[in-house]
Amino acid sequence: MRAAIYSLGKGGMRLMNRYDVVIIGGGPAGLSAAKAASSEGACVLLTEREQRLGGILKQCIHDGFGLIKYGEKLSGSEYASREIHALDDLDIDIRKLTFVSKITKHENTPYCFTIDLVSASGVETVAAKTIVLATGCRERTAKQIEIHGTRPAGVITAGSAQYYLNIMGQMPGKNCVILGSGDIGLIMARRLTIEGANVLGVYEAKSTPSGLRRNIYQCLDDYNIPLHLSKTVSKVHGKNRVEGVTIVDVDEQMKPVDGTEEYVPCDTLVLSVGLIPENELAESLGVEISQFTKGPVCDENYMTSVKGVFSCGNALHVNDLADYVSESGYAAGKAAANFINDSNDFSAEVKFSEDFLYAVPQRISSPDANLTLYFRSRYERGKTRLTVKSKDGVILTKHYHDLRPPEMEKLNFNISDAGLSSGDYIELIMEREY
Amino acid sequence: MNLYYRRKQKALDRLFNGKIKIIDEETSVRLVGSCSTWDEKVAAGLLVAKSGSHIHLINDVQVANLPEEKISAPSESDMSLEGKTPDVLIIGGGVVGCAIARELSKNNLNILLIEKEYDVATQATSRSDGMIHPGIDIRPGLVKKIYNNRGNSLYPKLTEDLEVDFERTGQYLCFDNINLLPIAALSTFYYNATVAGHCKLIMRKKLKRLEPSISDDVKFALFFDGAGIVCPFNITIALAENAIENGAEIALSTIALSMECSKNLITGEHTITSVTTNRGTIYPKLVINAAGVFADEIAEMAHDRFFSIHPRKGTSLILDKKAKANINTIYSLISGRAKKHHSKGGGMVSTVHGNVLVGPDAVETALKEDYTTEAENLNGVLNKQRQIAPWMKHKDIIAYFSGIRAATYEEDFIVEKGRQTTNILHIAGIQSPGLTAAPALGLAAEELAVSILREHMKVEKNPNFNPKRSRIVQTVTMTPEERNQLIKNNPDYGQIICRCEEVSKGEILDAIRRPLKCTTLDGIKRRVRPTAGRCQGGFCGPNILKLISEETGIPMKEVVKGHEGSNILFGERGNEADE
Repeated sequence: MRAAIYSLGKGGMRLMNRYDVVIIGGGPAGLSAAKAASSEGACVLLTEREQRLGGILKQCIHDGFGLIKYGEKLSGSEYASREIHALDDLDIDIRKLTFVSKITKHENTPYCFTIDLVSASGVETVAAKTIVLATGCRERTAKQIEIHGTRPAGVITAGSAQYYLNIMGQMPGKNCVILGSGDIGLIMARRLTIEGANVLGVYEAKSTPSGLRRNIYQCLDDYNIPLHLSKTVSKVHGKNRVEGVTIVDVDEQMKPVDGTEEYVPCDTLVLSVGLIPENELAESLGVEISQFTKGPVCDENYMTSVKGVFSCGNALHVNDLADYVSESGYAAGKAAANFINDSNDFSAEVKFSEDFLYAVPQRISSPDANLTLYFRSRYERGKTRLTVKSKDGVILTKHYHDLRPPEMEKLNFNISDAGLSSGDYIELIMEREY
Repeated sequence: MNLYYRRKQKALDRLFNGKIKIIDEETSVRLVGSCSTWDEKVAAGLLVAKSGSHIHLINDVQVANLPEEKISAPSESDMSLEGKTPDVLIIGGGVVGCAIARELSKNNLNILLIEKEYDVATQATSRSDGMIHPGIDIRPGLVKKIYNNRGNSLYPKLTEDLEVDFERTGQYLCFDNINLLPIAALSTFYYNATVAGHCKLIMRKKLKRLEPSISDDVKFALFFDGAGIVCPFNITIALAENAIENGAEIALSTIALSMECSKNLITGEHTITSVTTNRGTIYPKLVINAAGVFADEIAEMAHDRFFSIHPRKGTSLILDKKAKANINTIYSLISGRAKKHHSKGGGMVSTVHGNVLVGPDAVETALKEDYTTEAENLNGVLNKQRQIAPWMKHKDIIAYFSGIRAATYEEDFIVEKGRQTTNILHIAGIQSPGLTAAPALGLAAEELAVSILREHMKVEKNPNFNPKRSRIVQTVTMTPEERNQLIKNNPDYGQIICRCEEVSKGEILDAIRRPLKCTTLDGIKRRVRPTAGRCQGGFCGPNILKLISEETGIPMKEVVKGHEGSNILFGERGNEADE
């Protein structure tokens, strides 16, 4: 069922493999997208730049994965293994150790994307009708949060520390300070402690933790690791290896408070200060990026502002559960397989108030869409009533006992009763309940 | 004491209550006494020193309670260099030392370069902004003027021979005050007579077309076509590799600890007989001092200290490649409105690697290796350059760093034979535009060295000298056809390790296997750029470390980031009980 076309490049006639859907990234999002697209009958290529599929899950040997999707507590690597084996009986081209160096969009041809692939077998260009970007996210670095002082060895991101420890079996630190209470930071606090390192504390600049509640209990409280809120690292000391860090209090505007400096001797500073969706390829295609999610603006089918380009998983917005990543991957893959390049002009906007950190999707491209909407609250809050409204009235109301920024929420609803026309919008509102 | 110094002494007495005294020593002038801060010491030095003078200032003023600086020095020692008798011993592996080694290797000489760090180009050189200057703010008459202009003209051929990227981007000196137009227009005559390349006036409309990202406040600019950009590590590494290929020896993590000198009782002159390092004692015929911020200390060892270095720190920042879309050349602002503050220079530089470098500023410091950064300097640089590049955002910053310039009080280069010691050459006080001048300084040092050596020996040309050096392949810039062919021959070039900068395993292995051995993460970064991108090594760092270990046999826990003691790992997990 592989198709091939001839293209007239600089080098003359060249045979080019072509696909209905090319999925970039073989983590949980890409794996689910591949499964969905192939199940819909599409001819699929899945590319992965590493040696093995599974993405970041490969190094997640802790449990807590799969509660939603499989109703079981799996480790990240077990979860990945299930997702990989789910492709076993499907006819999918999988290219590992393959790097996408460029995507080009062409007009007036059904296979309107060409993708340059680099691998040990050479440089190859393939053509695709649609592209699913499942490129995941990367960690913010010390420079991006402006830590000053020296630049010694021993300042690493939590994900790198996890790779050293779980994949390479190497100790990246002995006396560690962890900056940021993101989930990977909390997981690594526990992991380093189990391996005999001394975790001196987790410092969080915000006044509330950034990670899931369950991780605070299971990774810090159970191991007596102190969590210091409203404190950050202002300076790193040590010429060659980290010798210590300066900790300062920060005020509500996240500005350091003079006179609160405290020196903590340590040999390692582990950073868990946020994740950024990887969208360099998306940007090269001119995809509109949301300032709230740092991922593409998409519609209910996960299609971005560029027709035929889909986005899912952590490349779209940073999820806190792999199960949700798989879910969006599946939906994106399915939509990509069924994509018809027509001139559908319907577009309605999803608006949200300042109480929201973000909501995805940001656009609706059908008046009778079934919407799966993910959102995060900007603030920690108690009893809340959430309302979804169109200009004609209320579509949906939901009550929450509490809402917290680290915990993503999900809504499913249909908008056909709202009678939207193109250019309209729906609006998300939060109200305090007593 | 002459009238000038008597006047300066009076000024010092007024400022420092008679605590600082000038001693006129004919070939140099010495300050003695004490003051309370380092800034006062530097101020006293700058007050007395004459810009560009050949009478150099030695600043021996004591400052109470200065923090003790522990200079990074190799802890390992062996006898690998014991008893060596090189014709020339070069101290310092920055761009200047490496340029000298390369130029000297044109002769049939036994050349040894020692560098205390694990790699060349780790100190001032690696922190340069990479600009090849036309020499706008260097007045004629200064030593550095000659070498700047000469070095500038040598770059095209040199970088072609060494296969190093070099671009003549040109530079805009921008003005936001239209009243300065007549003066600027007149100044083109002065510049055309004194700078490398040509200078012309460009009005706002054309400027906006050529560099659309320049602030709307700019009314006109002077364009200098002689300005260019080069990668400071690449050129230094290329010079070092070419020197090695032509027979020079480079000993890394080797520090000069002391020197033995003999004294001629009639002339009073000294002659260096031996130089003791952590790897044994060396007996060179001639020593070349290219030790950067430590040049005055090396001169002291040779009983020939006639100048002082006062370290001056600068902080620069690097913007993400996305910001590169905004800038094609180099530009900076001469503001007619903002009160002139002391931080001179700095600007927006589009680098050969496709990033944008912003800065640097200039701050006096007592510490020669204090590469720490402070928020205030970073913000200072950012705010200053935002006047001309208002599009710059905080979130575009992917890295920042500081470097230390090796300034003399005369703010000029020293390129000369020893004054009290017969067999030393000083290439000292090399601050900006040292990178530009380096090729010319290399030639000048070669000429001086050969003339000194000819007094004692026959110096012949090296018949096998090969000026060419081939670069490490760079797959990302190749055409798909070239790249495909390369990968077919060696599949390692098809395995991408660093995805931010798109660097293959093959390129990283090449970097490790080059003539100048490279075993550090920073060394690999400087040669082929993995970890220099937006993730700063978060993904590929562990893989590069593993490659270094596999390729060199160095155990993983011994692999370092850059300097000795900058180990990344503590050994295998589960072995905690061992220690």
